[in-house]
Amino acid sequence: MAEPPPRSRGAIALREENCTVCMICVRECPDWCITIDGHAEHVPPEEGSAPNRRPRSTTVLDRFAIDFSLCMYCGICIETCPFDALFWATDYAYDAPGPRELIAEKGRLVDWLDGVLVPEPLDPGAEIAPEPARRRGRA
Amino acid sequence: MLPVDRWVETVERAVTDGFDFFDFLSVVDEGEGRLSVVVHLWSLRGRGHLFLRTEADGLQVPSLAGVLPGAGWHEREAAEMFGLEFLGAPDPRPLLLPDGFDGHPLRKDFPLAARGVVEWPGAHEPTEHGPASRPPGRRRPAAAGVPDWAGQTEEDGTHG
Repeated sequence: MAEPPPRSRGAIALREENCTVCMICVRECPDWCITIDGHAEHVPPEEGSAPNRRPRSTTVLDRFAIDFSLCMYCGICIETCPFDALFWATDYAYDAPGPRELIAEKGRLVDWLDGVLVPEPLDPGAEIAPEPARRRGRA
Repeated sequence: MLPVDRWVETVERAVTDGFDFFDFLSVVDEGEGRLSVVVHLWSLRGRGHLFLRTEADGLQVPSLAGVLPGAGWHEREAAEMFGLEFLGAPDPRPLLLPDGFDGHPLRKDFPLAARGVVEWPGAHEPTEHGPASRPPGRRRPAAAGVPDWAGQTEEDGTHG
């Protein structure tokens, strides 16, 4: 079978550890096809940190689902993700007997990472995109 | 963007120049009441393609059906979907919408009825547990295209 061409738009893959449950992709999606759920969890204070430090909490991703019966493959979610958690994957053969089975849950989205292509090198003279602002605190 | 008074002659010229395979005709709602018409032509011999575009004069634009008969169907659909009149069209009947349909569904200001009955997934706050834990005065995110009758306003009334 022929190699998929660069920038193929097959499925959308999720790098779960990069997702901060910020909901930006859900709210930017013109088709309303992404559903996210998560919860806040307290982080135990680090070894040697000040005893009166404010307790920290982090958001844990519980559910990430893309309804491919609605998705129009615009890629806005991928473009808009500030933490590089979403990628175009090359998989295309995920047809299903009905619309319910076209809802891809987190496990499948993560599995599709194997089909993400290494980006093509930039054209000579291309402008390099500025590094997005880092989160406050340690880099 | 071609001047609308030279629309038909320019497309005709492109056809006689070899771009004689008509692919499609469509309309873009540019906002503020401006509509532009796009036609896509192929040259099978020259293996090239051509996009031509003009802006409608108000809600009127000359029909290409005399030059490209196949464009007639596309213009019929464009007319009902965008409320555009194709002047000189040989068959101006509606194509897809049922009789008596009110409005032009592909205009940007047409309310998306389905959005009134489906819950927007973006309204969900994953780390909040009910309205009680929501910080007071914080603006709720609002979705685009939700019709007015759908009552998008949240219980705290800060939608906007």
